[in-house]
Amino acid sequence: MENNREYIISAFTENHPGILFRVASVFLRRKINIESFKVSDSPVRGISLFTIVVEIDESMARVLVQQINRIVGVLKSNYYTAEGRLSQEVALFKVRKAILRGDTFEQISRKHPLRLLQMNGGASRTGNNDGYLVLRKSGYKEEIDALRDELKERGLLMELSRSGSIILHRETVEETMDGIL
Amino acid sequence: MGEKKISGAEALLFSLNAEGVDTLFGYPGGTIIPLYDALYVHADKMRHILTRHEQGAIHAAQGFARASGRTGVCIATSGPGATNLLTGIADAMIDSTPVVCITAQVPVNALGTDFFQEADIISMTSPVTKWNYQVTTAAEIAPAIARAFFLAGTGRPGPVVIDVTKNALVEMLDGFEYEKCKELRCYNDHPVVDTDALERAVELLNGAERPLIIFGQGIKLSGAEKQLRELSERGNIPMASTVLGLSAVPSDHPNFVGMVGMHGNVAPNRMTQQADVILAVGMRFSDRVTGKIGEYARQARLIHVDIDASELGRIITPEIAILGDAAEALAAMKRTIEARDRAAWFATAAEQHAIEYREVISKDLKPTKERVTMGEVIDGVARATGGDAIVVTDVGQHQMEAARYSRFARTRSLITSGGLGTMGYGLPAAIGAKIALPNRQVVLFCGDGGLQMTIQELGTILEWKVGVKIVLLNNSFLGMVRQWQQLFFERRYSSTPMTNPDFQKIADAYEMPHRRVERREDLAPAIEEMLSTPGAYFLEVKVDEEDCVFPMIPGGAALNDIMFNESL
Ligand SMILES: Cc1ncc(C[n+]2csc(CCOP(=O)(O)OP(=O)(O)O)c2C)c(N)n1
Repeated sequence: MENNREYIISAFTENHPGILFRVASVFLRRKINIESFKVSDSPVRGISLFTIVVEIDESMARVLVQQINRIVGVLKSNYYTAEGRLSQEVALFKVRKAILRGDTFEQISRKHPLRLLQMNGGASRTGNNDGYLVLRKSGYKEEIDALRDELKERGLLMELSRSGSIILHRETVEETMDGIL
Repeated sequence: MGEKKISGAEALLFSLNAEGVDTLFGYPGGTIIPLYDALYVHADKMRHILTRHEQGAIHAAQGFARASGRTGVCIATSGPGATNLLTGIADAMIDSTPVVCITAQVPVNALGTDFFQEADIISMTSPVTKWNYQVTTAAEIAPAIARAFFLAGTGRPGPVVIDVTKNALVEMLDGFEYEKCKELRCYNDHPVVDTDALERAVELLNGAERPLIIFGQGIKLSGAEKQLRELSERGNIPMASTVLGLSAVPSDHPNFVGMVGMHGNVAPNRMTQQADVILAVGMRFSDRVTGKIGEYARQARLIHVDIDASELGRIITPEIAILGDAAEALAAMKRTIEARDRAAWFATAAEQHAIEYREVISKDLKPTKERVTMGEVIDGVARATGGDAIVVTDVGQHQMEAARYSRFARTRSLITSGGLGTMGYGLPAAIGAKIALPNRQVVLFCGDGGLQMTIQELGTILEWKVGVKIVLLNNSFLGMVRQWQQLFFERRYSSTPMTNPDFQKIADAYEMPHRRVERREDLAPAIEEMLSTPGAYFLEVKVDEEDCVFPMIPGGAALNDIMFNESL
């Protein structure tokens, strides 16, 4: 418990029904809470990439990866700490229009490089002030957290949706699964 | 196979035939009727053994597999039929038993509607199967069966469930083609053994003063019996077995020092603690083997050989981990192993065995009290069969005594539920073993509790004239639980005494020759009669009600903390 830190567990798998269930069961069986869990296409057709973030210690990370590798349908699972990989998140923030008052927007966007996606979302024709803006920010998890905290503190945050960690492997899929594909 | 149209159910049967299956254990129901219809039409191609409960079907398939090394097959209908298999599937998973379970499922367009007898068996069995798959078209049946057999029987074996929707059973196919599955890119059935690691392992063993080989069921699963013996003989290294490893080496082999674990022999448990190098092969460091893990084998440098990568380092991190097939690894190690004089180390085994003989074995086998002990019965059977029988057990005190006092001349001769400890396993597993190997003597030891969990399978014996010898060790208690209450809960026998039926009348009702023994002098003749009577036999022996299995290492204690009797 004391040595717990954030680990990213990745797994390349066949894109078959039932594998998601089995991968999730590896965590459930040991009552490990999952921080984020993402399945997406890999560059190779028919192969999916699982990216799972959990707070555990290294020996647990090793055991979990062994158990995932044991699942028929998993081609290769690994674990990393966030530093070891290029791990990023993308988040969409829905914020109050009040952010445009004074130089608040400039202040915030200078501190947290971001992109304004949508102006005037939901603004009603009568011209009252219930419209919102949509901001997009990508970066490390901590950077997303920092923007969230700032917007929250200023009472501007209405909604937030984030992607969970997406990682780019230093090696190519082919290298990662050397000898398997 | 020609142009004739066949149904999905027929394709299923022909697929099983193509895998060499001639016997199924199962139980019919509404959803699976099309398959039973195909069985009726093609009765010449497949024998179906109707058990009296689906749990009986899967345990029989397990016994069949454990005795013969062939994949066992059972079939069940959707819903309750399928859920009744669950205990056996979990048992097969933890004990690495190759079984293929075929369950029928509601039609594909009814999935998820709470249709009559719908149970989501894929979700339910995912954590306890090596692989499972739902077939929803007839065309998928043959490839799914091919994968099922490949996965169940290779690598570390295990259970596979194939769930077939009813529409797939009745759909018609143009002819039948079958191709065996030989590889899958997402599964490595045969990892290449790391020769570097093997060399380092042999170096460790060659330099060891007090080496010990501890082997598990992996030896039998790999067919590595000969390689194990040769390595031990050539290197002059003592070998010890887990419960599931028993019989892989003849009990009387001079290098065999006994069984490790909670009720294991004193010598191998003590030697584990004294060894300087341990070679663990095809075993998984179960808590029942290691006792308190932090105190386990503290002096030993550890080599672990297993074909399942997830076992290497799961419980204990070995100095040398060798991923691969036991037979290959041991054969390679044999080439460079050097014999060393280890007289003093073998003398330790003899000394410890003498202590165990004095403290426990003599009291079990030559008791001075009036009541018969379980040990006497098991020893009596071992003598009468010359160690040539397949011993099947249920779970409890009799199981541990059977492991301790049976003697084995041939491999795959102990069939017992190890990892799950499933009461009710014994009777159906014995049926499966006898059906697989009708020429072997199959003796079941069971308790009065466990027998009653699957006692309905006496009907299967009656119908199929299965020549199983049933030895009921009746102590009128759920003995093993009572032992723990006796030792650790100040004899508060909560719900462990049993009011039992007259088992003799039950045996009689099933037309089985039977006998009850209460006195010691009647025991040997009764065993003789049992073994010489053709076909099934029911021998009930009234044993002492409050006997305990010793030696015992209490749960969570270190291997050094051996109890020899109640007072210690
Ligand atoms: C299905 C199941 N339920 C409960 C248990 C717990 N349990 C283990 S041993 C045992 C007692 C077995 O009694 P019996 O069959 O009479 O055999 P004995 O120990 O007396 O030899 C029990 C209840 C179990 N192992 N399996």
